[in-house]
Amino acid sequence: MKHKIRFTINGEVKEIEVQPNKTLLKMLREDLDLIGVKEGCGAGECGACTVLVNNKPVNSCLMLAVEVDGKEILTIEGLSDGINLDPLQESFLKHNAIQCGYCTPGMVMSAKALLNRNSHPKEEDVKEALAGNLCRCTGYKRIVDAVLDAVKKGGGK
Amino acid sequence: MMAEGVKKMTKRYVGKNIFKVDAREKVTGNAIYTEDIYFDNMLYLKIKRATHPHAYLRRIDISKAQKLPGVVKIITAADIPKVKNFGLIIKDQPVLIGIGQKMRYMGDALAIVIAESKEAASQAIGLIEVEVEKLEAISDPLRAIEKDAPLIHQDGNILDTYYLKKGDIKKGFAQADLIVENEYRTSFLDQVPLQVEAGVGIFDQETEIIKLWVATQWLHDTQADIAQSLGLPKEKIRIIQPVIGGAFGKKEDISVHIYLALAAMETKRPVKLTYTREESMIAQSKRHPFIIRMKTGVTRKGYLTACQVEVIVDTGAYASSGPAVVHKGLYHCTGPYNVGNVKGVAHIVYTNNTYCGAMRGFGATQMAFAYESQMDIITHRLRIDPVQFRLQNAYSIGSSTPNSQILTLGVGVKETIKLAADIAGWKE
Ligand code: FES
Ligand code: FES
Repeated sequence: MKHKIRFTINGEVKEIEVQPNKTLLKMLREDLDLIGVKEGCGAGECGACTVLVNNKPVNSCLMLAVEVDGKEILTIEGLSDGINLDPLQESFLKHNAIQCGYCTPGMVMSAKALLNRNSHPKEEDVKEALAGNLCRCTGYKRIVDAVLDAVKKGGGK
Repeated sequence: MMAEGVKKMTKRYVGKNIFKVDAREKVTGNAIYTEDIYFDNMLYLKIKRATHPHAYLRRIDISKAQKLPGVVKIITAADIPKVKNFGLIIKDQPVLIGIGQKMRYMGDALAIVIAESKEAASQAIGLIEVEVEKLEAISDPLRAIEKDAPLIHQDGNILDTYYLKKGDIKKGFAQADLIVENEYRTSFLDQVPLQVEAGVGIFDQETEIIKLWVATQWLHDTQADIAQSLGLPKEKIRIIQPVIGGAFGKKEDISVHIYLALAAMETKRPVKLTYTREESMIAQSKRHPFIIRMKTGVTRKGYLTACQVEVIVDTGAYASSGPAVVHKGLYHCTGPYNVGNVKGVAHIVYTNNTYCGAMRGFGATQMAFAYESQMDIITHRLRIDPVQFRLQNAYSIGSSTPNSQILTLGVGVKETIKLAADIAGWKE
């Protein structure tokens, strides 16, 4: 039996019917075509599927779609209009904090959540906020540099 | 002429911050990786895998699975009698295990389920009934080389043996004041690219071309291997590599490719197969674990005189790039250090573990654990400075490697050691 849920996704109100056992990750990728949300493990280990729900970072592979009823979701697709990038995205580009890019959407969203709650994070705060995001191309240094530079440029506001 | 070209290139790229061409798509979530590709009318595959690491398949019953709503077709070995084995260097890996044939590791495929949804395909896997005749499962290469061990492949469990010889090993040890001998073991390692194996396939009925979008590394070798396995000309196989989410050697081997090709030809519909992380761990390659017995001779003044090495390598159930990995490991047995007298032997051995293939370093990293440990033990025993000891033995232009290659270019090991010692504050 499907459940009707209503939520805001990247600023837009949506109403859809989902199976009760469908994960948020599956709904985003398969029903809403938000393919920027990545699956690395499907088990809460890698952070590639990170999105913001009511401004908090979640592993969308571990959350059921029905749980977002009445909530607000932000994915990598909603972070910019594609032309004017978020300062975090600009900073990732500038610092070459991207190799294969598979971890990138999750990394950026975790960093975004950090800046939402702390506009002047220290290096240690950045590392802690990204601790649940794995990068197997091992670009952690550049990723941390990118976030700190975005903070310096006022990305944290 | 050449100097001119180099100069021009230097001005354009070297020392400049160059943006990755696809970084913008990646940072906005718009980059299309294989599993992001969807087609209308697409079917989903799931692979029924071995139920025991070493066993004969006696019976496979797909009747219940086939009746499940949403299941379109289940392919077993009986449907593809002409399909041949595949493999990067040796064609020893079957596409599907048939009745009376042997499964050799938990990743061997018994059936390909094709269904309207991933859920139906997954459910059908559980409904396939299998009967096997179990054999001793060998997980230790030292057991595999014993006389009474069951044979994993027809020609024996030692896939091959390689030798290495330079100078006069006896003389080398005679010149030594200290001889250090130890056994080292390294472990299996998964490359764990963040993106798992994934692919989408389409069979174009007009041109009879099979189009495959796959997270894959060696497009041309893979194309040739698929073609020989399916008995088709290479031109009938087209591989497209979308943006890839890391590989590190793991995607050099065939994974989803042939299953997709068979399913696309069978159903004439777009087909998709994405492994789970668990499946990727079980079915696809690992870094080879090495057992290294190393004997090193050195003079009182700290000059290496001899290196003798015996290596036993577990390549798992299939060869993959094992032969090349083991060769390379053997050639690196002295590391970046001058040793005049070298003798080596390496056995590459089949077991019922997941097969091993390419991973960053390709055999060289395993050996480094052994020779660098030897270097540290030697300096400890001789009470000499480990940095100085390494520097006085390190390669320079003109040095010769264990396989007698003379180095003529780009030997940076001494500078590297000095810099590393500096950064580490070694002098203090
Ligand atoms: S896919 Fe969700 S944490 Fe890895
Ligand atoms: S860039 Fe490849 S996993 Fe992070």
